[in-house]
Amino acid sequence: MNSKKAIVTIFCGLFAGIICTNSWAEQLSADQIIQKTNHTALYQGIDSKGKVKMVITDKQGRIREREFNMLRKDEGDEDRDQKYYVYFQKPADVRKMVFMVHKHAAMERDDDRWLYMPSLDLVKRIAAGDKRTSFVGSDFLYEDISGRSPAEDTHELIETTERFYVIKNVPRNSAGLEFEYYIAHIDKITFMPIIIEFFKSGDKLSRVIETLNQQDIQAQENGTLVVYPTVTLSVARDIETGSSTEMRFSDIHYNLGLDDKLFTERYLRRPPRHAMR
Amino acid sequence: MKVLKNTLVGFSINHYKLATLLMVLFTIVMCAFFPQVEVDTDPENMLPKDDVKRLFHNETKKRFALSETIVVGVVNESDPAGVFNPATLARVYELTEFARSLRFQDEENPERTSGVVEVDMFGLSLVDHMSQGESGEIKFEWLMASPPKNQEEANEIRDRAFSNSLLKGRLFSEDGKVICIYLPLTDKHLSYRIGEALNEKIAQMEGDEVYHIAGVPVAEVAVGVEMFSQMAVGSPLAMLVILGLLLLFFRKWRLVILPMIIAMFSVMSTMGLMIALGFQVHILSSMIPIFLMCIGTVSSIHILSEFFDVYTKEKGRKETIKEVMNTLFAPILYTSLTTAAGFASLAFTPIPPARIFGAFLSIGVIIAWLYTVIFVPAYIMMIPEKKLENFGMATREKEHESFLTRILRSTGNLTYNHAKLLLGMMVIVIALAIWGTTQIKVNDNYAKRFTDSHPIRQADIALNNHIDGTYTAYLILEGDDEAGLSIEDTRQLVGNIEDFADRIKQDFQQAPKLAKEIVATIPQLLMENSTYMGLLDSIITSIDKSCLDANDNDFYAYDEIRGYIGIEKERLKIFKRPDVLNYILSLQKYMKNSGLVGKSTSLADAVCKVNQEIIDGNIRNFRIPDTLEGVGECFFQYQQGHRPNDLWHMVTPDYMSTNIWMQLKNGDSSDMKDAVKAVDQYFTDNPPPVEMSHQWAGLHYINLVLQDKLIPTMLRSFVGSFVVVFLLMGFLFRSLRWALLCMVPLTITILAIYGIVGIFGKDYDLPVAVLGVLTLGMAVDFAIHFLQRAREKYGESGSWQDVIKEMFGEPARAISRNVLVIAIGFLPLLIAPLVPYKTMGVMLFAIMTLSGIITLLTLPAIITVFEKWFFKKVDVKNLLPTNEAE
Repeated sequence: MNSKKAIVTIFCGLFAGIICTNSWAEQLSADQIIQKTNHTALYQGIDSKGKVKMVITDKQGRIREREFNMLRKDEGDEDRDQKYYVYFQKPADVRKMVFMVHKHAAMERDDDRWLYMPSLDLVKRIAAGDKRTSFVGSDFLYEDISGRSPAEDTHELIETTERFYVIKNVPRNSAGLEFEYYIAHIDKITFMPIIIEFFKSGDKLSRVIETLNQQDIQAQENGTLVVYPTVTLSVARDIETGSSTEMRFSDIHYNLGLDDKLFTERYLRRPPRHAMR
Repeated sequence: MKVLKNTLVGFSINHYKLATLLMVLFTIVMCAFFPQVEVDTDPENMLPKDDVKRLFHNETKKRFALSETIVVGVVNESDPAGVFNPATLARVYELTEFARSLRFQDEENPERTSGVVEVDMFGLSLVDHMSQGESGEIKFEWLMASPPKNQEEANEIRDRAFSNSLLKGRLFSEDGKVICIYLPLTDKHLSYRIGEALNEKIAQMEGDEVYHIAGVPVAEVAVGVEMFSQMAVGSPLAMLVILGLLLLFFRKWRLVILPMIIAMFSVMSTMGLMIALGFQVHILSSMIPIFLMCIGTVSSIHILSEFFDVYTKEKGRKETIKEVMNTLFAPILYTSLTTAAGFASLAFTPIPPARIFGAFLSIGVIIAWLYTVIFVPAYIMMIPEKKLENFGMATREKEHESFLTRILRSTGNLTYNHAKLLLGMMVIVIALAIWGTTQIKVNDNYAKRFTDSHPIRQADIALNNHIDGTYTAYLILEGDDEAGLSIEDTRQLVGNIEDFADRIKQDFQQAPKLAKEIVATIPQLLMENSTYMGLLDSIITSIDKSCLDANDNDFYAYDEIRGYIGIEKERLKIFKRPDVLNYILSLQKYMKNSGLVGKSTSLADAVCKVNQEIIDGNIRNFRIPDTLEGVGECFFQYQQGHRPNDLWHMVTPDYMSTNIWMQLKNGDSSDMKDAVKAVDQYFTDNPPPVEMSHQWAGLHYINLVLQDKLIPTMLRSFVGSFVVVFLLMGFLFRSLRWALLCMVPLTITILAIYGIVGIFGKDYDLPVAVLGVLTLGMAVDFAIHFLQRAREKYGESGSWQDVIKEMFGEPARAISRNVLVIAIGFLPLLIAPLVPYKTMGVMLFAIMTLSGIITLLTLPAIITVFEKWFFKKVDVKNLLPTNEAE
């Protein structure tokens, strides 16, 4: 069984009730495609961890680096709430800083965010009024990392190419958003978003996120070996500033059985070993 | 000289049609280049492209991603809440949203757009507000996400805005009456288009607010626009005035238009030539037409004046013009040469626009001379003899003596009878003028190029009344990232690593042992690195390797040590260091207290603000954190907002150079100079904690650089042309004595002009400086005419008293007519909306009047007093001009 088929099989399992073949996939609605994409991008496995290395290159080619380890754990298996734990290693002056998020899928409930600052030994809550702020100074926004809830946009399948579903997503509420709509090119087989283009009013392209590399990560799921297609290199490019950010993932593991209590305030000061190594 | 004269004048008289055709043809060919005209209003171009300071300025703009910026100021003085009322804020919001959309297809690259740089726009609705939430959480939100619905919400926005000292005095005024929107441009040349779009939008807005559009790019474009209007309105107007005056003196249309033709053809040929050779029209060179208009007429007025006085029906036009050209050829040639020499000296200044201006004026003067000698006689030949009926002094003097004639005659008597008294008065004038000259203040102000009523000047005045200064200069501090590797540093590092490992051994037992291993590798790494930074990097890399297969206990110990060395490395990025940031804060405070800087903004301010908010929002915590890590966290948080890139306008990503934004309240370059001095002084008195350089950038500073070059440059040009003129005079008169005498009136004139500039407190700026050099070439003209003619006449009569009588006849009249025509002819410049043109008008009026009066008073008085000295040893025959000795 080749890996692509394996993935398809996995999805068939996950979305029980859908008999999944390529010919069937053609007839998926935009909402269904987005739902699957949302799952692939954010909810594979019950938890995961990985090392992330970010290289931010500005218009003049000057670079800044970030390194952090990220832990993730889902609440239930309905692709809803999630918890994130981000432990910083670089730059050296913010080493041991921790950023924790309890993401709430419900539209009416803001996420909870915490920041631990080692120099002050201070845990500070961060109000999450706005998810469209820069993530650690990179060209990724906070929402690019934690995921934008599919419920926030309306989706329209505008084109189906040999490789992609092309979906236009228009926010239901545009208040406080820096874009007017975005277009996602989604891999028809893996349901991985490969290119996401954000447009401002007047169809002005402002930002692009692109998946440049994927890897199949093996994991145990309910006692069986599964393979999760996982992004290992993605790039966000800010067209307006000319800046771009490369984000590389390594040491990715799924279904580690991460303890819920790791994602509590107490562990901000005492990072779990999972997070550190 | 004789050959030259006979060839040219002979050609002109005998082949007058061909001479005319040649002039017209050349002018037409040159005019064909007019459509290719390009304007350059960039004040930066006052400095050569490879000027070190200009290069640094551009490098700075690039490094800190700084764009030329338009400022839109919204003023509300009628509402008690100032601009912070719902209606005004809604308009500000609307205008900001509108400005975001100002993007156009790029002309050079159709696939891209240019216009307003949206991400760097700066306005109330575009910035973040950091604050404390109800349960002590830190909040990042837009300061004004949407316009307020009522006064309460407007007050809330006001409170938010005022809570951020980084915004106060920049984004809005502390009196709450002004809000500014800053629109950086991809290309400053778009400012006209964007200004127009904004004006159109503003015109549609209701309310009592007053809108101002300011900023250097706007001013530059406005200068360009006014320049053209000046060339299109000012020059023709000057022409009209000159024409009117000439008509008054000479009565004959046919003759009066002659100087106009010469002037116009010279102007068109010169401008055409300049454009053809690919030079851009700068504010200085835009004044060439008006200069040439006047200079070009001078010689032909002399000829006309002489022709008018000498013409009799019996002699006929051909003989008369021959006689006139005989008398005037030499003085006209020499006055043209001296004028050209005066302008040409500008061609050696290090200010490119002044070079082009000087060079082409110089060329223009020669063209005008050539046109005068080949076309004036030709033109007179083309006038039918009968049309000259009733022309000439002879006909008119019979009827009545003109006022001018009478005044000049009594002046002549005065110079003879009270010569010593006159000279005594001149000495007093000179003394006063020298004192006045010492009072001169060197200063330039770009905004003051416009008259007070000009919208740009109005905006400048209004905004500076409220905001803490709109003139931005950048103070760049830079650390040395190539700092070498000293034994001392290394030894200290080794000690520190071991100490650190010792300190953490309770939690990480392995640490001391691992530290020893790490330290043991250092000698090897030392060989491979030349910088301290490089050494630290190598140590970290080697620890990374050891970590890969270390057991957990070793790993965590390694991780700690690696973290420690990482901090050491960060410490080399000097603008992350708390001591350095505190140093910057004190420098800013010092500059603020000096009164020179209204407001300054630096990354230290940003760190203070973030530190305050990440702790508890208490103003007590508006300070630099105690540790490098604390600072690092502040920088990190700063970048988590909506505008992470704002940081990079203040510091480079390697934290090795920083940009302190200094807002000066005054556009005077002298204030900028004081600020530069103050900073130098601060660095001398308070050595920074780490070695760093400080340098300035920004257009406002560039203006100062230019000004600093101005004085020595102009002085050099001035001395240069003084010497050239003196030598030319020596050659003309074949006598150093007479040459010296010739320099007297112009020296007094120049002293007097600068004395007046000093006494009246007029700033010595670029236009004034340039005029100074021009004065020289023009002021000497009258002296040449006067002395040349006086020597001639002395040669004929041998009695100085008789000569004076004659001199105050026709020659003095020619000089007076010229003075009047040119002095008054330049006055239309006064209606110009650009101050340099006005200055030019006033200065030229003063130069012409003064040099005319001084020439007519001092020269005869000096000769009267020192008659023997000037005429004693010289054989009377030799006094005849060389070309006359036939």
